[in-house]
Amino acid sequence: MWSGNFKTAIGNLRANKGRSMLTMMGIIIGVSSVVTVVSLGEGLKHQVTGQINQLGSNVITIRSGKLVGNGSGIGGLNLLAFLSTSTLTDQDVQAITKLSSVNSVVPIDFVGSSAGSDKRQLDNIFVVGTSSKMADLLHQKVAYGSFFESDDSTNKVVIGSSIAEELLDELNPVGHSVKISGATFVVQGVLAPSSGGLLSVAQTDFNSAVFMPLKNARSLTNGRTNILQILAKSNGDELDIAVNDISTALQKTHGGQTDFTVLKQYELLGIAGNIVNTITRFISGIAAISLLVGGIGIMDIMLVSVSERTREIGIRKAIGATNRQILNQFLIEGLALTLGGGVIGVIASLIINGVLRVYTSLQPAITLQIFIIAVGVSVAVGITFSVTPALKAARKNPIDALRNE
Amino acid sequence: MALIELQEVSKLYGFGDATVLALDEVILSVDKGEFVAVMGPSGSGKTTLMNVIGLLDRPTHGSYLLDGRNVARRRPNQQAKVRRDRIGFVFQSYNLLARLSVLENVALPLAYKGMTPVRRQKRASDILELVGLRDREYFMPRQLSGGQAQRVAIARALINKPSIIIADEPTGNLDSTDSKVVMELLADIHRQGNTILLVTHNPELTRYANRVIYMHDGMIVGDEQTAIGNMAKGARRTHFQRRKVTDDEIVEGVSALMRDVPGKELASKPKKKAKRGRPRTKKRPVGRPAGHRLKAGSRQRREKAKKR
Ligand SMILES: Nc1ncnc2c1ncn2[C@@H]1O[C@H](COP(=O)(O)OP(=O)(O)OP(=O)(O)O)[C@@H](O)[C@H]1O
Ligand SMILES: [Mg+2]
Repeated sequence: MWSGNFKTAIGNLRANKGRSMLTMMGIIIGVSSVVTVVSLGEGLKHQVTGQINQLGSNVITIRSGKLVGNGSGIGGLNLLAFLSTSTLTDQDVQAITKLSSVNSVVPIDFVGSSAGSDKRQLDNIFVVGTSSKMADLLHQKVAYGSFFESDDSTNKVVIGSSIAEELLDELNPVGHSVKISGATFVVQGVLAPSSGGLLSVAQTDFNSAVFMPLKNARSLTNGRTNILQILAKSNGDELDIAVNDISTALQKTHGGQTDFTVLKQYELLGIAGNIVNTITRFISGIAAISLLVGGIGIMDIMLVSVSERTREIGIRKAIGATNRQILNQFLIEGLALTLGGGVIGVIASLIINGVLRVYTSLQPAITLQIFIIAVGVSVAVGITFSVTPALKAARKNPIDALRNE
Repeated sequence: MALIELQEVSKLYGFGDATVLALDEVILSVDKGEFVAVMGPSGSGKTTLMNVIGLLDRPTHGSYLLDGRNVARRRPNQQAKVRRDRIGFVFQSYNLLARLSVLENVALPLAYKGMTPVRRQKRASDILELVGLRDREYFMPRQLSGGQAQRVAIARALINKPSIIIADEPTGNLDSTDSKVVMELLADIHRQGNTILLVTHNPELTRYANRVIYMHDGMIVGDEQTAIGNMAKGARRTHFQRRKVTDDEIVEGVSALMRDVPGKELASKPKKKAKRGRPRTKKRPVGRPAGHRLKAGSRQRREKAKKR
């Protein structure tokens, strides 16, 4: 009975191909946008977990400025700290280095700059002044050459992968010279590509940054001595102890003031993950509205279809169809319509995903779960919005239906 | 026990001043195996009677016993099952589903019974063989001639081995050759012991029946037993035939046609018409029993309806 009904339903939808397609459009758009948005969010979350796994759970970030609240929510990014002068200094680095619960300490300072080679010029890059231990601490892989070994002034730099690509298109850029803020440096190493943007360790894109010892970086910035942030790594599982020790030590060097923030790196990433989650939910909520609109479209067309086919309903009832059987027929038709829309929507979202992967740096992650939910939701929409038309069909009085022309 | 037993069945359409009494306390009993032809002028209630017997429509008053059980007041779903299992319809306009093949059309009642596709297609094939259309199984209804379409409809009506076959002017859209084929088919079916109710305007077709019922104004005004092969006596009366249009009337146009409209006739000379309408044939006790049970109010309503 069901398979027969399904066949009839498909036949009826085929007979009105143009109309069926237009009706499905709402569902197609709804499903494909929900799937795309959710898979984008899912992809971002994967990147976050990837970062946490890569870093290990014992990295601590120290930033200038006091975080409002307890560090959760959007305050975790503390963008204001980048705008005002940092209160962190070399003394702080030294104080943290002395702590027994801390394994290694790395200062990080950014300087906006430009870079050039004999071929090209890049504005808007970051020079990161740091220490030789940075690559180790962040588990940052070096693709070519090596990271610098000493914190003394040198004319050697390490560059990010994008800079290497854009500035020097040689296969191996190691040994080539680059000009940074007018001074000439030799490339000693190229970092392996890392995920950038919101999720990167220091909220900056390592791929388009140049790394050099802190002293060098300072000489580019007419002698600024403060440090934007400090990264530290605790000994083994002494993370909480280390966080406490650092806070106490810094309070001392800052004269009792708490004008800094000590954060566990994985918490920071967790916060980023939460933000991604919230945004994903919000946008997919908006996308889901088009599913609702699609559902209403289906109801509309089904109602038209029912009154067009009144006579057919009359004939079916005359030869013995029960109300339930007529109801099923129209429910299945609505279901076929939305299921079709759902499947086409999923296919469309696969194409969109492919395009996004190829043409942007986004890494959407489609999971089977997303598919099942998308198709499940479209089925639910189909049934919900077909009930009214199907009931209307089922309740028709056979003789009135038969008289209908 | 009679197969069909109508007890004072009335059917009213509309309400207030617009009330139409389509069936007026009809009493009728039909035995199994009868071939009943129903005749009467347009608007006399033949189709309404068939719809009530076929459970497509509910009587306003009265009861309808099918095999001794009152089915008139059953729930719609139960009535649907009675239709499916016991009644086969043949309509004037065939009423095949355009998007289903001939085979699927014939098999559809079995689908509603829940039979598996393989079994019901086999059955449908067999029945199509019976009506001589085995080779048209995979045709679509629009690819059939009128006569073939009606034979498919008969096959569909037969597929559930129904107790009653109701054919409301089955030859109304057919030429004489196709009519003959269809009627011979119905005669065959009747010979196999089936009960058939046939509405027709064609007196010739009463030859196939063994009983003819005459209707007028929602009442059965005549009931005649005839031998199969003979035309019923009452049927010859021109009143029950569709009027042949004369040349004069063609010139007169629409106004001449209006004479055939029963409502108009009723409004002008109700008495006279009632007299004309009564065929002088041997009658069974029909019509209204002496002390009929309608209340005064409904009686008035009926009078009003007639005057309309
Ligand atoms: N749905 C309806 N609403 C109102 N009046 C109706 C309806 N159906 C039938 N009637 C009325 O009931 C009366 C009987 O109609 P019915 O269709 O039974 O006539 P009939 O004998 O089959 O006529 P014909 O030979 O033209 O088919 C007519 O007066 C008709 O106008
Ligand atoms: Mg009729």
